[in-house]
Amino acid sequence: MPLMLHGIGVPGGIAIARVRHGRDPVHAVTERAVPRSGLPAEAARYRRALALAGRQLRAVRARMPRAGATGVRAFIDSHLMMLRDPVFNDAVIDLSRARACNAEWALILQRDSLLSAFDRIEDPYLRARREEVGLVVERILAALAGTSDDGDDGMDGAICVAHALGPAEVLQLHEAGAAGFVTESGGAHSHAAIIARSLRIPAILGVRDARALVRAEDLAIIDGDSGFVFVSPDERSVAHYRTRRRDADRRRTALRSLRDKPAATRDGLAVELLANIERPGDLRAVRDAGAAGIGMYRTEVLFFSRTEQPDEDEQYAAYAKVVDGMRGAPVTIRTVDASPSPGSENPALGLRAIRQGLRDPALLLPQLRALLRAAARGPLMVMVPMVTGSAEVRQVRDLLTQAAVELDDAGIRHAQARLGAMIEVPAAALTAASIARSTDFLAIGTNDLVQYTLAVDRDNDEVDHLYDPLHPAVLKLVALTITAGRRARRPVSLCGEIAGDPRYTRLLVGLGLTRLSMHPAHLLEVKDAVTRMDAEDARKRALRILACRDARRAADLLDEMNRG
Amino acid sequence: MTNSRHDPAPEVALTRDLVIVNANGLHARPASLFVATARRFRADITVTCEDRRADGRSVMALLTLAAAEGCRITVSARGDDAADALSAICALVTEGFDDTALGDPACP
Repeated sequence: MPLMLHGIGVPGGIAIARVRHGRDPVHAVTERAVPRSGLPAEAARYRRALALAGRQLRAVRARMPRAGATGVRAFIDSHLMMLRDPVFNDAVIDLSRARACNAEWALILQRDSLLSAFDRIEDPYLRARREEVGLVVERILAALAGTSDDGDDGMDGAICVAHALGPAEVLQLHEAGAAGFVTESGGAHSHAAIIARSLRIPAILGVRDARALVRAEDLAIIDGDSGFVFVSPDERSVAHYRTRRRDADRRRTALRSLRDKPAATRDGLAVELLANIERPGDLRAVRDAGAAGIGMYRTEVLFFSRTEQPDEDEQYAAYAKVVDGMRGAPVTIRTVDASPSPGSENPALGLRAIRQGLRDPALLLPQLRALLRAAARGPLMVMVPMVTGSAEVRQVRDLLTQAAVELDDAGIRHAQARLGAMIEVPAAALTAASIARSTDFLAIGTNDLVQYTLAVDRDNDEVDHLYDPLHPAVLKLVALTITAGRRARRPVSLCGEIAGDPRYTRLLVGLGLTRLSMHPAHLLEVKDAVTRMDAEDARKRALRILACRDARRAADLLDEMNRG
Repeated sequence: MTNSRHDPAPEVALTRDLVIVNANGLHARPASLFVATARRFRADITVTCEDRRADGRSVMALLTLAAAEGCRITVSARGDDAADALSAICALVTEGFDDTALGDPACP
């Protein structure tokens, strides 16, 4: 009989296959008295189980291919680390000794005491880590019971229904050729979900009583987008999902093959697609996406990781890593967009970003020196946030000169860096012509531009529905900036969120932008939009959208543009 | 968690105040990296977050600290190589444990 179950789906995954049940969790742990003389042997038994569990995990890890799975291996590493947790393991052995009981019982007690500590954690992602503890303990219990590790028998082409799955189990299933999995516990924050998303394994988590409701050999469909598991579906549903799965696979292959293709419109206009990053660790995603460079490296992360400002050398290390990592591709680094001191009434309008930097050069100079030093290693550009006039840009240029002199005096290698301004304040957009002449390039920051122009705080859920990049005022300011840049012959890029939204791609290119910087995860989708569009057609339509009286009309025309 | 079996060395502890910057906080992977780093040194390492305290060598204890993004933690090291240990741990936390978007459920 057809049955529909619901849980947390991993988006994008579709599987149609017969069900197999995963290994049952080791339930029946009972307390067993151990005579004093047997306690050392019991402790040794526990340690052997730890070693066995470790070997099993390392075996799975060793079979993972190096490329592309480093994040996933890290999950196994964290389980391995937990197996070696001296405080936890010493506690288990101490408990076993104190109660003269078996290792299993002591382990359960210690686990429960640890798990109760998790219950008071508010952050959902961190609270979900209690699942890891449960899974590691399960593995130790299984090792203590001597049960074998191959719970993935017969999983080839099947959907595994299990109580809970840890990273190693998911990997084993993947290796065994499982079509997907359903678990009773866990959710979006589980490691299993993260690995499933990364390896594109169709999965649904948190389906209560799944094992009781879904029997082995039942045919099931996993729909990751909706979170539904269809058990014993009818022919029509099966056909429907077969089509969807085929289309999704085609799309994915097409996107991947897009990485090395040039980003150019159908009528040959080249569009530069760059990436926004926050730390050197983001470089892997940047390379995977095939970005042409870094359009914005936000440096706040460096500054907010501690209570004192990071010194020049620390900053230089980070910037150098990024410049080196980009191997000759251009890197644009934004000077610190510092948060205002707490307690100010209107932080968005207060002493922040370049204002604070210019007021306290001691804050800005070390950063500028670090940037110039990194510029000696590759093409580096400096970008200043929240500019309202060319005077600010000139002041930063003066500081850059000062920094260069200081470095010369100290005999430290450095090179010149081009200087650009972020246009994110309405005043800057309206006077972009004059600002452009004082800079080497302009970068439109639509996130803040929309907020300031429409006087909307996008983090305030009472008004965030008013935040609309398609408001005529915003589009006009963007267009003004592009024109100013063109007239002054300075390149203009856009690095707000809409740069990474394929819905806006045609409009932005149509308005005259040929440089967009976005989160690397969105780059290939945007590139796809670029390769499908006609720049000449986009220009005509963009003019019409610019002339719209309201955002509603603009949205309609935009949808039309995207359909065409 | 139970107390460490050994008495702390008599030297004064060095401390550093840090802020957790990676989006998902001190979850399993950062906690493991933290412990892996701490293990390279002989110093005893303790981490406090608000009123909670954890042994820097225990992944499980660090997880129960629930140090989310933005949380201030104090790392304290006591022993011969305390300064080096602190430096190394500082660098790790500062770099956000190189925690990329892989762990972010919201990321496509």
